[in-house]
Amino acid sequence: MNFFLRQLQVLFATLGDMRRTPMSSFNTIMVVAIALLLPAYLYIGVKTTDQLASNWEGRPQLTLFLINDISPQEAQLIFQEVQLSPSVAHAEIITPEQGLAEFSLLSATSDQLVDFEEQLEFLGENPLPFSIVLMPKLEYISTDAIKELKLLLGSIDGIDSIRLDLEWVERFGAITETIKRFALILSVLLALGLMLIIGNTIKLLIMNRRHEIEVSKLVGGSNRFVRRPFLYYGALFGFFGSIGALLLLWLSSIAIAPAVTRLVLSYGGNPFLYAFSVQDAFALIGLGIALGWLSARWSVAQHIWRIRPR
Amino acid sequence: MIKLSQVSKRYPNGYDALSNISFHVEEGEMLFITGHSGAGKSTLFKLISRIEKPSSGQIWVQGKNINRLRESQLPQLRREIGVVFQDHKLIMEKTVFDNVALPLIVIGMPRDEIRKRVRAALGKVGLEGRDQALPETLSGGEQQRVGIARAVINRPSILLADEPTGNLDDDLSDEIIDIFRDFNRVGVTVLIATHDLRQIDRLGCASLELSKGEISAYHAAPAFELTQEHREQSDFF
Ligand SMILES: Nc1ncnc2c1ncn2[C@@H]1O[C@H](COP(=O)(O)OP(=O)(O)OP(=O)(O)O)[C@@H](O)[C@H]1O
Ligand SMILES: [Mg+2]
Repeated sequence: MNFFLRQLQVLFATLGDMRRTPMSSFNTIMVVAIALLLPAYLYIGVKTTDQLASNWEGRPQLTLFLINDISPQEAQLIFQEVQLSPSVAHAEIITPEQGLAEFSLLSATSDQLVDFEEQLEFLGENPLPFSIVLMPKLEYISTDAIKELKLLLGSIDGIDSIRLDLEWVERFGAITETIKRFALILSVLLALGLMLIIGNTIKLLIMNRRHEIEVSKLVGGSNRFVRRPFLYYGALFGFFGSIGALLLLWLSSIAIAPAVTRLVLSYGGNPFLYAFSVQDAFALIGLGIALGWLSARWSVAQHIWRIRPR
Repeated sequence: MIKLSQVSKRYPNGYDALSNISFHVEEGEMLFITGHSGAGKSTLFKLISRIEKPSSGQIWVQGKNINRLRESQLPQLRREIGVVFQDHKLIMEKTVFDNVALPLIVIGMPRDEIRKRVRAALGKVGLEGRDQALPETLSGGEQQRVGIARAVINRPSILLADEPTGNLDDDLSDEIIDIFRDFNRVGVTVLIATHDLRQIDRLGCASLELSKGEISAYHAAPAFELTQEHREQSDFF
C-alpha cells in the first residue's frame, strides 16, 4: 500500500513538473500524438480494406459444368449435394435452356452472334450441359481455400469440369497483403522514431536536472529513486500523446466522413465507424504508455549512471 | 568508527591532494580537521563518503571497507553519513522544505513524519517559518543552515561538516557548532573541517591538522565535563 502511495506521489509530482514547463511538454506530447496517429490511420486503412473485400458483391464464383448427357433428376441430386457442402454460401442450378438464354443475352452485342446461332441450328440441339453456379462463404474466399474447395467439388460424380476465375482474387489478396506489410513496417519505424523522440526529451530533462540528481545521490538516493520520475515522464508523454492522437483521429474523422460515406454507400456498410472500436482506443493508449515508459527506461539507462556526484 | 590506513588521493590531473594519511576516529568521537586552504580537508570528506575513491590505501566506515562497496551499496553508506557540504549543494529549484526533506524522501518516509522532522530541524538551525522559501532568496549563512538541517535530518551515525560556519558570525557559529556537539553527545561521530580555531579552544575537542595533504599535527582532547546546559540540549534529540 505504502509502495503504491509513493508511486502515486511521484506521479503527481511529475505531473506538476510537466505543468511547470508547459510549452516543451506540449510540444513533445504533440509529436508523440502525431507519431501515434499515423499508425492508427494505417490500421484503419487496412481494416477498411479488409471489410471492403468481404463486402464485395463480386466475390469469386465457381461454375460447375455437369457431364453432358445427364438427366434433370440426376442433375438435381448433384445440386443438392453441392448445396450441402459446408463452404458453400449460395448455389444455383442452371438448366441448358437458361444457360443458352443467358449466353445469347451476353453475346447479344457481339458480332459473333449470327455465327453462333447458325452453328446452333447446324448442331440441331442445345450443346450446353447443366451447370451449377455457387458462391463460397466469406471465410472461404482466400485463394488457398477456394482451390481446396475446387478439388473437393471436382471429386463429385457427374461434374465434368469447374471454371474458376481466380485472377482478381489473387490480385486483390496481393494488394491487401502489400498494404498490410507496408503499414506494419511503417508502424514499426514510427514507433522507433517515437521512442527516439521521447528518449531524447528524457535525456534533456535528465541533463537539466543533473544537479538535482547529483544531490539526491549524495544524500543516499538510489539509482532506482533518481530514475523513477523520468520513467513517469516517459509513461505520461505516452499517455497524453495517445489521448492527443485519439483527439486528432476524432477531429480528422469529421473532415474525412463525407468522403468515406460515399465509399461506404457503394459497398453497403460503414467501415469507418467499425474500423476503430473502443477496444482499439484503449489499445492505443496502452501502446502509448508502454512505448513511453520503454523509451524512458532506455534513455535513463544510458544517461543516469553517468551522473556521479562530485 | 572511521579508520584510514595509508590513504593517498591523486586527482586525475595528477595533483596529490592527500598522501599517506592514517588515523582513526572512535565511535562517538568529535574531531576537528584544520589546515590552510588546499590542504585536503574537503578531499578527506569526499573519500569517507565515497564521493571520491582513494588512489591507494584502505578506508573503513562502521567496520566496512568502503573501497569494496559496489555502486548499489553506496546509497546505504550515504544514508549513514550526514554531510554538510562546503558549497551547500542545495537544489535551487526546490523549496527549503523539499531540500531538507530529501534524505527522508529518498528512503520513502511517510509525509507526516517528514513534516514533523523538517519543522524540528529548521527550528534547530533558526529557520522556522522559512520552509517554503527558495534557497536563492536566502543569505549565504541561511543557505548554509539549510544544508546543516538536511545533514542531520536523517539522524545519521556519522556527521561530516565541511566549513559549516564559514559564512556565519561568531554567535551563530557557536550555536551551530553546539548543535553538532549535541549530536555528538548522543553518540554520533562528528568530523568538522574548519578554519575557526576559536571553536576548538571553546569546546576542547581533538583536532587534526593537515598541511599539503599530510597530517602535520594531532591534538588530543582534554578531559571535558558535561555542563547542565548541554544535557538539556541533548534531550531534544
Ligand atoms: N576534482 C579535483 N581535481 C583536481 N584537483 C583537485 C580537485 N579537487 C580538489 N583539488 C585540489 O586538491 C587540493 C585539496 O583540495 P581540497 O578541496 O581538499 O582542499 P581544502 O583543504 O578543502 O581547502 P579549502 O579550505 O579551501 O576548502 C587543492 O589544491 C585542490 O586544488
Ligand atoms: Mg574545502
